[in-house]
Amino acid sequence: MNKPFDPAVRDFLDGRIWLRQHTPFSVEKINEHIESGMVETTPGVKMKKGLFGQPSCKCVRCENVDPQLFTSFDCLQCEGPCAYCRNCLQMGRVSVCTELIVWKGPCTEYPTEHALAWEGTLTKRQKQASKELYESIVRARPHLIHAVCGSGKTEILFEPIHKLLLAGKRVCIAAPRVDVILELEPRLRAAFPSTKLEALYGGADVQAFDAQLILATTHQLYRFRHAFDAIFVDEADAFPYTAEKTLQHAVRKAAKPDAPIHFVTATPSDKLLTDIKKTGAVSTIYRRYHGHPLPGPRYESLWNYSKQLSKGKMPKALEKWIQQRLELSEPFLVFFHEIELMMKAEQAIRQLDDRIRAVHSAHPDRKQHVQDLRAGKIPGLLTTTILERGITIKNIQVAVVGAEQSLFDAGALVQIGGRVGRNVNHPSGDFVLFHNGISYAMDQARREIKRLNAGGDQP
Amino acid sequence: MNPCLLCMKPISEVASWQSFFGIEKKKTLCDDCSKRFVRADIKEEGDVLDAVHSLYEYDEAMRDWLHQYKFLQDVALAQVFSNELRRAFSNKDTIVPIPMHPERARNRTFAHVETLLDGAKRPYVQLLTKTNTTVMGEKSRHERLNMGQLFELVPGAVVQPITYRLVDDIYTTGTTLRRAATVLKQAGAARVEAVTLIRSIQK
Repeated sequence: MNKPFDPAVRDFLDGRIWLRQHTPFSVEKINEHIESGMVETTPGVKMKKGLFGQPSCKCVRCENVDPQLFTSFDCLQCEGPCAYCRNCLQMGRVSVCTELIVWKGPCTEYPTEHALAWEGTLTKRQKQASKELYESIVRARPHLIHAVCGSGKTEILFEPIHKLLLAGKRVCIAAPRVDVILELEPRLRAAFPSTKLEALYGGADVQAFDAQLILATTHQLYRFRHAFDAIFVDEADAFPYTAEKTLQHAVRKAAKPDAPIHFVTATPSDKLLTDIKKTGAVSTIYRRYHGHPLPGPRYESLWNYSKQLSKGKMPKALEKWIQQRLELSEPFLVFFHEIELMMKAEQAIRQLDDRIRAVHSAHPDRKQHVQDLRAGKIPGLLTTTILERGITIKNIQVAVVGAEQSLFDAGALVQIGGRVGRNVNHPSGDFVLFHNGISYAMDQARREIKRLNAGGDQP
Repeated sequence: MNPCLLCMKPISEVASWQSFFGIEKKKTLCDDCSKRFVRADIKEEGDVLDAVHSLYEYDEAMRDWLHQYKFLQDVALAQVFSNELRRAFSNKDTIVPIPMHPERARNRTFAHVETLLDGAKRPYVQLLTKTNTTVMGEKSRHERLNMGQLFELVPGAVVQPITYRLVDDIYTTGTTLRRAATVLKQAGAARVEAVTLIRSIQK
């Protein structure tokens, strides 16, 4: 029964579902493995005729079934009507006549020796949460770590992940946003120095085929299938994970059929809370790791800010706030609800200090600018909600311009406020909401922060 | 409501009598995405090629669109410019798309210029075939200008002494269009004009 195979092909394909034409291996090599039965092919899109003859499609890679996200066309390859999936198009088009491949041979065996080099200590609550999480892992039930921003959520995962790795398990930490992955990568590399680790996000190639610990944007999980013994979804409530059903399917598909999916977040949706309570367990942490309360929001009116900024004028209160930060040389973030307004504001704000920059999701230098802010090379950044979570910068001060906008729901505002006062030496800071009228979400966020702070008093 | 073809966000549409009676064509892009495409309407005249009309300049938005359409093979994006392309022609025009080599067309699974015209609902006649599989985008300006034959007439094709309008996705050096025009003129075409979606301006 022992058929020969190339271990590199096994390491790469085990747990993945990949386009046959776009592997890192030669076509001949893949063909050999298909002939020997080590690799199996499957059509990329399954098309079925519905009850009334209308075709219904399912993408085998991303499990998308939304008819709006399939396009039918006359294909010159298969010489007939064909359809492709637009949902996962950016990873290479998958159509009815595209072949996907999966590994069928013996599984990769992962090493069981791993070092945990993290030398910090957990607080009592962190320790308890870590223990509870591990218990859930052993009992194969989903677990939610519901912990306020800056309570050291990532550190809670270290011990359970280490135990999984020691058992030769493959582990994934997934987050909807690439910024969170970029922030996590160096911390995990430092914590697990002897573990093969890889971060996957749009534009990053697969380098370490047999990485045992994978950090990935939830999008990247489209390309995995039955790969992981445990998945931790960080910042689970962040757009677009909650918005897109297919992404949730992707996470489920990437895990082995009986492997639980765990969640880590500061602002779980009501649905996540009720779902988890039915089948799993929840650990809650109300206190930040340094024991100080979360900074509450301060309201300040900024009437007609949109009109003023569009005209290139600086609203007085905003100018004063930025001026103060510059004088005290405190790093700051100013959040905007839309790119266009932010770009107009950038021109006006840069008259105060020309080093100030603006970043948004499509900005080519966003990684660099965030690093520059952290290194103190630039005094502050204007940003869209892309930096609302996962970002830790010492002594950062935060303002939201247009806090009443519907984009800033209570969860987003709690997350934005969570950037402030994360450091032991700077446990507080200014969190100001500039508004053109107070919204329900603003009050909700303020109440939630109060509630969390009060909860910490009753252990 | 269909989402925007480029950013996948829902398109906000204001209810109007036109949309109620189905006169207005359904939008394919949201306002933000359609704002990125600015009409340039570059028109030029020459000898081999009597006139060229390019609808858009090759900018960032167009580069992204072309990449997604041709290289990610997103056939649906042919709809984005269907209205604009439709209006670039009249009912009387005889349209000849620049052909792809059959083998390359099979690899791409669709012929991109013909699919654009299909989207614009403009009928066309295929008078030319591509004789080799070279890719213009991979060649330098010098190489492009010194290439051998690129096109020949489809066997049995009849070229009449009328005006033909060639169509291509992008005009860079103009080699492709001029070669195609030469073939048509040698076969008896009176006048050959061209319409391209994009004009790449060499800087």
